[in-house]
Amino acid sequence: MNSQLIEKPLPIADGDSEAFWEGIKTGKLLLQHCCECNHVQYYQQRICRQCQSENLQHRAASGRGTIHSYSVVYRAPGPAFKLDVPYAVLLIDLEEGPRMISSLVGKDFDALDFDIPVKLKTVQIADDSYLPCFELVTE
Amino acid sequence: MRTNRSLRGKVAIVGIGQSPSGRVPGRSPLDLTADATLKALADAGMDKSEIDGVLTGNAFASSFHRFSIALSEYLNIQPSYSNTLQVSGATAGAAINTAAAAIHAGLADTVLVACGDSLLTGMTPDMAIRAMTESRDQQYEMPFGIPVANTFAMTAQRHMKEYGTTSEQLAQVAVTFREHARRTPGAQKTEPITIDDVLNSKMVTTPYHKLDCSLISDGAAALILTSAERAREYTNEPVYILGGGEFYSHEHIFLMPDLTQTGAVQSAQKAYDMAGISADDIDVAGIYDCFTGTVIMMLEDLGFCKKGEGGAFVESGQITYGGKIPTNTHGGMLSYAHPGIPAAWFHFIEVVRQLRGSCGERQVAGAEHGLVHTLGAGFSTQATTILGTQSTL
Repeated sequence: MNSQLIEKPLPIADGDSEAFWEGIKTGKLLLQHCCECNHVQYYQQRICRQCQSENLQHRAASGRGTIHSYSVVYRAPGPAFKLDVPYAVLLIDLEEGPRMISSLVGKDFDALDFDIPVKLKTVQIADDSYLPCFELVTE
Repeated sequence: MRTNRSLRGKVAIVGIGQSPSGRVPGRSPLDLTADATLKALADAGMDKSEIDGVLTGNAFASSFHRFSIALSEYLNIQPSYSNTLQVSGATAGAAINTAAAAIHAGLADTVLVACGDSLLTGMTPDMAIRAMTESRDQQYEMPFGIPVANTFAMTAQRHMKEYGTTSEQLAQVAVTFREHARRTPGAQKTEPITIDDVLNSKMVTTPYHKLDCSLISDGAAALILTSAERAREYTNEPVYILGGGEFYSHEHIFLMPDLTQTGAVQSAQKAYDMAGISADDIDVAGIYDCFTGTVIMMLEDLGFCKKGEGGAFVESGQITYGGKIPTNTHGGMLSYAHPGIPAAWFHFIEVVRQLRGSCGERQVAGAEHGLVHTLGAGFSTQATTILGTQSTL
């Protein structure tokens, strides 16, 4: 098998997202706050999605959120994820408002539910690559 | 202000054709698509020289970026209008709508709308899935191992949470379409299945088991459209485009406005308005069925039942013969064939056959209005087309 086929897709920053992925490396999830209309966005872009202002400011998210939806993946999407299954992918509603895709740290799938609290935990996936993942908040 | 321009009744489908589908080894996507095209030409009694427009989707098992151009060369035709559309699963509907618009606008007289791929034997299953996953964002989605299947899965999960839709109701969609496929010559899967069979099949991504997921297939299909003025030159049973509507609500699943209500609401409304009818008038439907839950949500968003009632609607037999809206009478992507982007072409061909009255034992008696809804990329892309017989004009 071609070794390229089993390498995981790593996030490769572009001009819009460089600061975001640098932030993840230091454990910070940087959200874009619009200084004109107060809109908060996760997906990194040069303009505010609500008012098109370029006056955006990065602020680290609290890291707290809730699970809007999830799915436990048993069939790997390609060879790169074969060793990971089963794993849970999550749609997280961040405390600041935006929604994001992430995955669950650990395999406590029985504890997964809608609208329950989770907190950010960055996970190293390669030498210089980290992902913003989430873990369940236990009492 | 919006204008109310309409292509209602201006363009008709005059030829349909399909290659063998299911497991078809040793044949390239171009070969399969050319095969389907020649059959569509024969169906229309048309020479290929009549075709001056070609629209296709792309094929995963082919290296061509411009599949429509490569297909034209393969057929040795030189169209004056061509494009390769790229809106994932909605490509079929978008291509039909766009072909109709081009003909109505005078950009082309006669447009071939074709697509073929060999997902099953032209590439390994892992490569096929990988090809699908590469269509997701490489920064914000794919690193988490979220292929397109999971985006659909998460919408279904939330639908189940909000409306109490059950796994049994999802499974009923697969069971119903399998029953339909049993009567369709050439269907890939024809052995009967039960709800328990679906629930006991391997879990792929919750809530979807293997039998909740569409097949992986080879195959191609082609339709030929021309102006209403010329349609009768080719067939006694033109099937007219009565309305088209599309909607593109987001790229990333995390920016989908509402996980349980999709842009099909808007695409369908536009198509109904153009056709001057409502969901109640539709006799037969082809609904993109990449997953069982997708169909349940679309039945709601297309207006066949109320929001949240899709599960009960399916459970009570409303999407088969004798029900409110017989759907995917050929068996759909869950049982007939799913060669990727071409899959929804088969929905069009089946609805055309229903409106021609040529479905034999699958015929929905007296079908005059048909609807085809195609979608893709985690409900990002939506295209609705309403078709009608001569009597609906």
